[in-house]
Amino acid sequence: MTPDRVVWLVSVLLFLCGLAALLLRRQLLAMLLGLELMINAANLNFVFYGREWSDAAGWTSALWVLAAAAAEAVVGLTLILALNRLAEPDTDSVRELEG
Amino acid sequence: MTRAALVCLVAPLAALAAGFAFFHRRKPWSPHCGPGSTHWPILLSCAVVTASSWWLAAQMLAGAPALDRTLWTWMSAGGPGPGGLSVDFGLRVDGLGAAVLAMVTLVSGLIHAYAVGYMRGDPGFSRFFLYFHLFLFSMIGLVLSNNYLQLYLFWEGVGLASYLLIGFWRERESARRAALKAFLTNRVGDVCFLFAIFLLARSAGTLRFTEVFARLDRIPQSTLAWIAGLMFMGACAKSAQFPLYIWLPDAMEGPTPTSALMHAATMVTAGVFLMARSWPILERVPGVLDWIAATGAFTALGAAVLAFTKKDLKRILAYSTVSHLGLMMLALGAGNAYAATAHLVMHGFFKATLFLCAGNVLHHIGKSTASVDEAGGPTAGFFSKDLIFEAAVHRSAILGACAALVAVGSGLYIGRMAWLTFFGERPEQPDSLPLPSSTGEGRGEGSSDPHAHHSDPWLEWPVAALAFFSALIGLAVVPTGVLHRLILAAPLWRGEPFPHAPFDWGLGAAALAAALAGIGASWYLAMAKPSWDWQWRKRRPGLERAFDADFGWQPFVMGCVVQPVAALANFVGWTFDLRTWDRFMEAAADSFIGLSEGVSGLSRGLLNQYVGWMAAAAALFLLRLAWVR
Repeated sequence: MTPDRVVWLVSVLLFLCGLAALLLRRQLLAMLLGLELMINAANLNFVFYGREWSDAAGWTSALWVLAAAAAEAVVGLTLILALNRLAEPDTDSVRELEG
Repeated sequence: MTRAALVCLVAPLAALAAGFAFFHRRKPWSPHCGPGSTHWPILLSCAVVTASSWWLAAQMLAGAPALDRTLWTWMSAGGPGPGGLSVDFGLRVDGLGAAVLAMVTLVSGLIHAYAVGYMRGDPGFSRFFLYFHLFLFSMIGLVLSNNYLQLYLFWEGVGLASYLLIGFWRERESARRAALKAFLTNRVGDVCFLFAIFLLARSAGTLRFTEVFARLDRIPQSTLAWIAGLMFMGACAKSAQFPLYIWLPDAMEGPTPTSALMHAATMVTAGVFLMARSWPILERVPGVLDWIAATGAFTALGAAVLAFTKKDLKRILAYSTVSHLGLMMLALGAGNAYAATAHLVMHGFFKATLFLCAGNVLHHIGKSTASVDEAGGPTAGFFSKDLIFEAAVHRSAILGACAALVAVGSGLYIGRMAWLTFFGERPEQPDSLPLPSSTGEGRGEGSSDPHAHHSDPWLEWPVAALAFFSALIGLAVVPTGVLHRLILAAPLWRGEPFPHAPFDWGLGAAALAAALAGIGASWYLAMAKPSWDWQWRKRRPGLERAFDADFGWQPFVMGCVVQPVAALANFVGWTFDLRTWDRFMEAAADSFIGLSEGVSGLSRGLLNQYVGWMAAAAALFLLRLAWVR
């Protein structure tokens, strides 16, 4: 098993775990965690191929993604705090956009 | 002259706009500018219009050439030249138009003034005056038109206004029915008239009177006959001739001033006016003329007989109108359009007087002293009727006999009405009261009448003025030939078709004798033997029923025309609309509802679901990428 295959498999698994958390969990905090997993699965690829091909673009991209993830965490956590004031702070009770 | 004619059109429009915008308001701006004073701008407009139309008549009498002027092109199709049709909006004032216009505006103005007194206190006072003036405006436009399509436009305006006015007391079932009856009956005639216009446009290529009449030679005889016949059917409906007269007696449901206006000035005269306008067409088709004469004679006689049997004052007058219109048609058919027009003008004056008298009588039930002398009526009608006799006698003996019989008849019913109303003792039978309470009055009668205006000057002076004018015109204008000169000033009729015959003393004496015989007979029947009226009703109930049903014509129309058409409409509505089209539409709507419900299931507002869709879309996108690679 070559290293790139290992990285590929791990990142796919991480991504699918995050997606599963996003799809199945009803708590926003858990969904945010799932989101972080997915982001970092992508990041793993950036870092690995940046080193493999000696290309700084991969590493800078990874840094950019981290910055975006941090910002996203700030916004997401704020939303979660606001949501937690509700009696039932799960996503099923916040469905005003129902069509 | 153009300016005076324009004033006749613009003044009523301005008055209507002002009345609608400033007076016809739920919340009046001030006590002087509310729905209770809508009549002021409208009366002002009446005065202006009357003045300018009489000035026009004076101009025509003084020998001015006819005014025929295009104001703007209304519509045009197919470009200029053959095959194209261009219709203008224009004005035409000639002797015929000026004579009718002068009568219409003066009579209508006085009726407007009368209506101020009659309608005072009615909750629909303001609305009434707007409708009323719309009626007059349409008629003025009709008379001033210089082409057939414009005439048709105002013709429909007259029909609309009459519908609104007959059904004015719309909370009453009978008024709504009468209005609908009038409207639908007129529609039959209107469609015929419209087809005549189509034929004219097709065969003559123009609709302007002067141009149409100049091109008549090019139109084949059969087409001309169709045009004249269809036009006559249109006039039949408007002028209440035999097959289509049925709406007029029911039109009594409107307020009395409406009846006066409709019978004298604005509505029923339109048909005769159209016939007189189209005389150059009519005179080329003698077959149609015979038909017109026969219809007129039949209508005149039948309506005279029916008028004699009616008990309701306004209904007598309605049948009398039908009878007189029959006389006008008879005159037309006998070949004298001038006599018809003259009688039209005369009839306008005296029938308005009679109706306003009837309205006063109905208001002062039991107080016959308050009613106005109606002697002006018969005198004015006498001379013009005489003209019709002459025309009819010259044409054929049968028509002359018919006309004479009608004269006897109208003497009979007018006399009977006058005797019974003003001098009659109450007959023994309550149902043969000369003034039954079932008259077409909308208000509560007797003591419950809130409009007790016995001394309202608005109810008195217009009637007096009308009586004065009809006596004046009957005695001074017709025999001296002024009306003759006016009507024949600058005509569209070719040459000098209807010379002013010196008064034929023999025929005049015969006519006078006929009328006197009628009046005498009516005196005998109504006064000397007052029991006769209800005795024959009692002895011959079948006959009375036949009279009440207009010899079975009303039931026939109901049974053979109205009900089958209603049944057909029901069938079509049920089968094609409710059963077929509605179901299709409902199914379409249902399927759209189902579709949208299905689509809205995709967005339940659940975050996880949205993520799922996003993931699915991304997966699809990736698959697509892989596929291309």
